[in-house]
Amino acid sequence: MRIPTLIASLVLLALALAFPHLVNAYWLSVSILAIFYAIITASWTLLVGYAGQFSFGHMAFVSLGAYTSGLLVTSFGVPIPLGMLAGIIVCAVVGSGVGYVGLRMRGPYLALFTVAFSEVLRIIFVSETEITGGSGGLEVPPLFHIRSDIPYYYLGLILLAASLGAMVALVSSRWGLFFRAIRENEQAAAAAGVRVIRFRVLAFAIASSFAGLAGGFYAHYVGILTPDIGSVDQMGLVVAMAVIGGAESLVASVIGALVLEVAIEALRSYGEWRLVIFGAALLLVIRFARNGLLPLAWDRLARANPRLRRVFAG
Amino acid sequence: MADYLLVQALNGLVIGVIYAVIAAGLTVIFSILRIVNFAHGEVYMMGGYFAYFAIKLLGIPPMGAVLVAMALSLALSVVVERAFLTPLYSPTTERKGDYGILVTFGISIFLRNIALIIFGPYPLRPPSFITGALIAGGFVMTWDRVFDAAAGVLMLIALLWFMHRTSWGEALNAVSQSRESAAICGINDQRFYMLAFGLGGALAGGAGALVGPIYSLSPSMGLIPDTQAFAIVILGGMGSVAGSILAGLLIGVSESMFVALFPDPSRSLTYAQAFSLLVLMVVLLVRPTGFFGRTHTALE
Repeated sequence: MRIPTLIASLVLLALALAFPHLVNAYWLSVSILAIFYAIITASWTLLVGYAGQFSFGHMAFVSLGAYTSGLLVTSFGVPIPLGMLAGIIVCAVVGSGVGYVGLRMRGPYLALFTVAFSEVLRIIFVSETEITGGSGGLEVPPLFHIRSDIPYYYLGLILLAASLGAMVALVSSRWGLFFRAIRENEQAAAAAGVRVIRFRVLAFAIASSFAGLAGGFYAHYVGILTPDIGSVDQMGLVVAMAVIGGAESLVASVIGALVLEVAIEALRSYGEWRLVIFGAALLLVIRFARNGLLPLAWDRLARANPRLRRVFAG
Repeated sequence: MADYLLVQALNGLVIGVIYAVIAAGLTVIFSILRIVNFAHGEVYMMGGYFAYFAIKLLGIPPMGAVLVAMALSLALSVVVERAFLTPLYSPTTERKGDYGILVTFGISIFLRNIALIIFGPYPLRPPSFITGALIAGGFVMTWDRVFDAAAGVLMLIALLWFMHRTSWGEALNAVSQSRESAAICGINDQRFYMLAFGLGGALAGGAGALVGPIYSLSPSMGLIPDTQAFAIVILGGMGSVAGSILAGLLIGVSESMFVALFPDPSRSLTYAQAFSLLVLMVVLLVRPTGFFGRTHTALE
């Protein structure tokens, strides 16, 4: 069983590495955006699916990371990697702030609070035109000065692999257990000795940092930032990606993000119908397969072939 | 300046009545179904379009179209409730609060995007209820706003009468206090979930029909009133209809005062949108139970 798994992983890795040379520039840029959404979706899954902290403000942290880096680089001439790092730190700090003030709320109250936070931040980015350029956008220098997107693809792939690796390690550690204990029942978790306050704030800080990382990467890839990336509709897209893939599994939500972003582009000829299709898909999945499509498929496969069970469990 | 502030305050009062209608609908839904309906603003939007097409396609007079819009919004809400919300009442559903948030959020995205296709992105303006304006001294207010305020107050009175003076209202109140006890008394709770969600939707749709002639209709028009309604519901206390009405008026007036007094007029309108959100955040932090909220319990 181990050798086929190894072969399958190697084939996947080889495909991922060879990918930029197999597709045209358009699909390469789509795949870079898919990677961007995958990092966001995974970190949202960490916060919502594992720690149970319902946040609709995740895209606000993406835009915060993006604007922090963008503004530091354009206004103060900070080197881009340092700007992105600053974006991550700002997101971690603001994220713990939001997590801390959100401590007295849970469920829908927290969801409302984070929606409000996200909209206020977006309105500030729209209104303070002298600093952020408003809806017209902020021009940000690119990370690489070449005309090809290939370096962005590999960088994105490394960032995604590192983020996903870190998150998987986190959720399979003791901390991951604490997160799930808090999700299931806060009082019971506290009674069992979990430091609920510390870990709720920590969940927000960690998830927001990954959002900030994705934001910084996006800013210096796309080259122009608009407040729209922090909008409720963008948040809806990420929610759809996570839920359709499976919001209680990091790997499932990442696959959901990659597939959905590619599907959105592939269905471009359907124009505005795409979002309706995804809205309907989201609704049907929430209603009839709450844990997402991938865990459902895995279950079916594992039942049909018990030898596969060990692979999926890992 | 004083005249200007007075006009602004009266305009704010009119908007406050509309906010109160939207928020009262959200409160009815919350107190019976125990969910925060993230799709409420989209039902408000649909109500506006229902009225518009009732006038344009069926030739119904504008005032009658408000009633048509309310009836259609009620029907839409009942369909949504039967199709997507029944897992909320099933004992086998885990973490119902999370389910309610996700599913209503999904409905809001779906409705907003399908409205974009069917109705188009361009703003539509339905005809006035009553053309012209009320002029008294130096004071001017369009008759549409006067009519909106009167119709809104009428809707709120009707709601209060229904909730407190009819047997169905009593039954709704019983279900909101305890589903089990209500069931023991022979109340079929399923029917009252439908009624509550439909009633909330009818109020939102009616409000959407009322604002049509003042602000135009657009598929994204529900986003801001939705968060404003949340601010109002939480300020008034979740589950309290009277609290929502009071808080709606308060937010309407203070918001237009905020616009009038904001130092930089070029930004005042965008920051006015942030105003109720800031109120929402502050209230959630300082007093999550609002003015008249029942005890702050975790949702089932």
